[in-house]
Amino acid sequence: MKRIIKLTINGKPVETAVSPNQTLLQFLRDDMNLTGTKHGCGLGDCGACTVILDGKAVNSCLVLAIQADNSEILTIEGLAQDGKLHPIQQSFVDKGAIQCGFCTPGMILSAKALLDQKPNPSELEIRTALSGNLCRCTGYQKIVEAIGEAAEVIRMREES
Amino acid sequence: MLLPKFYYHEPATLEEALRLLSEMGGAARILAGGTDVLVRMKLKIDKPSHLISLQKIPGIDVIIQRENHGVTIGAAVTAAELSTNELILERFAPIGIAASRLGAPGIRNRATIGGNLVNARPAADLSPACMALDATLKLKSAKNEREVRVNDFFRGPGETLIEPNEMLVSIFVETPPPWSGGAYIKLGARKALEISMVNVAVLLTLQSQDGPIADVKIALGAVAPTPVRAFAAEEFLVGKQPSSELFKEAGAIGVGMCEPITDHRGTMEYRCLMIETLTSRALNQAYNNAINWKPLPV
Repeated sequence: MKRIIKLTINGKPVETAVSPNQTLLQFLRDDMNLTGTKHGCGLGDCGACTVILDGKAVNSCLVLAIQADNSEILTIEGLAQDGKLHPIQQSFVDKGAIQCGFCTPGMILSAKALLDQKPNPSELEIRTALSGNLCRCTGYQKIVEAIGEAAEVIRMREES
Repeated sequence: MLLPKFYYHEPATLEEALRLLSEMGGAARILAGGTDVLVRMKLKIDKPSHLISLQKIPGIDVIIQRENHGVTIGAAVTAAELSTNELILERFAPIGIAASRLGAPGIRNRATIGGNLVNARPAADLSPACMALDATLKLKSAKNEREVRVNDFFRGPGETLIEPNEMLVSIFVETPPPWSGGAYIKLGARKALEISMVNVAVLLTLQSQDGPIADVKIALGAVAPTPVRAFAAEEFLVGKQPSSELFKEAGAIGVGMCEPITDHRGTMEYRCLMIETLTSRALNQAYNNAINWKPLPV
C-alpha cells in the first residue's frame, strides 16, 4: 500500500505517495526525474547513488523512500545556483577530475558533506570521505586535488 | 536492484514495536540502518514479509553516560555517531575505532551497532570490540526482558541466541578501571568498505602506570564461525610485567584459539600468521594507551 511522504528536495517541498519497497534512489530517479543521482551496484558498495540526507551523505539505494519522510534531501541537481556551478563542481571541471562522469555526482556530494563539516580538510580526510565512492576510470588523484581546491575557494569566498 | 514487496511498519513506541514483532514472529525483520537487511532482501537471501522501522521510536538512538560506572548505547546508534563520540573514543576506544573502520562514510551514517551485532557476521567490526569490553546486551520481547553477555551471544555465522520475538534494545558497557587502554586493528586488502580478513580488539588494564597487567581481554574476528575471545592468551598475560616480547608470546598463544578458513580473502596459513602479528600489535597499542590513561575532565 502506498503512503504519503512529505520532504524537501533541493529546497523545494514535495508531497507524494510512495510504495514501501521503493528505495530513495528509485524515487528520486523515476518519480522526481532527478536522474543525476546514479544507480550503480544497488548494494551500497559503489557510492554512485550518494545523496545528502539531513546533512549526511548516504547511499540512496539503501534507504527506503518512506524513511525519507520529513527529511531534507540534496541531490547533484540542487548544487548549482542561478545557473552557476557550485565551487566543488567548478573545481572538478577545472582540474579535469571527471572522465566518464558516472561516479561524479556521488563524489561531489560526499565532498560537499565533508566540506560542510570540515571547511579545511587534510588530504587524508578527503580520501576518507571519498572511501565509499568508486571511480572505475581511475581518476582519484585529480578528484582529491579538486576537492582541496574547492575547499580553498569556499573559504576565500566566505572570508571576503 | 529491486526490493521485493513487504509491509512497512513504523511504530511510535518500543512497546508497539515489540508487540508487532511478537505477532509476526519470524516473518518480520527490524529495519534500523538498513545497510544489511536491505542488501540481503535485494539479493533474495532474506525474504521478510514485514519490516518494522525503528525510526520513530524515541531514545533508541542515544548514548547515555551512567555517572562514572558505564555507558548505555542504544541499539540504533549509528557507527558514525560512535566513531565521533568523545566519551566512547576516550573510555571505550575499541568500539569507537571499530565503528570508524566499518564500511565507508555513507554506510556509517546509517549502519547501527545493534544491526552489526545481531547480524552476527564472523567478520563484523563491532562484535570483537564489544567482546573486549565485556558488553551486556539488553534483549526485550513484548512480555520479557533479559540481559546476556555479548561473549555468550554469538552462535554461528548469522546466528545468535536472540529469539524471533526479541529485539536488541541497548548495549551496556562498564567503564574500564584506571590505567586501562584499548585498541582495535582490522586487516583487509583495502582500507575502506572492506570485510575483515582478521580483526583484533584488546582492552588491557594495568595495576598501576608502571605495574603488571591486572586484566586483559582479547577478542578476534573473522577467525572462526563466531568472534572468539583468546582466553589462553589472556590468562598467560595476567600478573606479568608488560613488554613487547611478552605480547609477542601472547600473540602466538592467541592463534591456538582460532580455526580460520581459506577463502578468496586469504588463506588459513596467512590468517594464522596475521592473528599472531596483529594480536601482539594490538596489545602494544593498548599498553601505550593504558600508560597514558588520564581521568576525564569534569
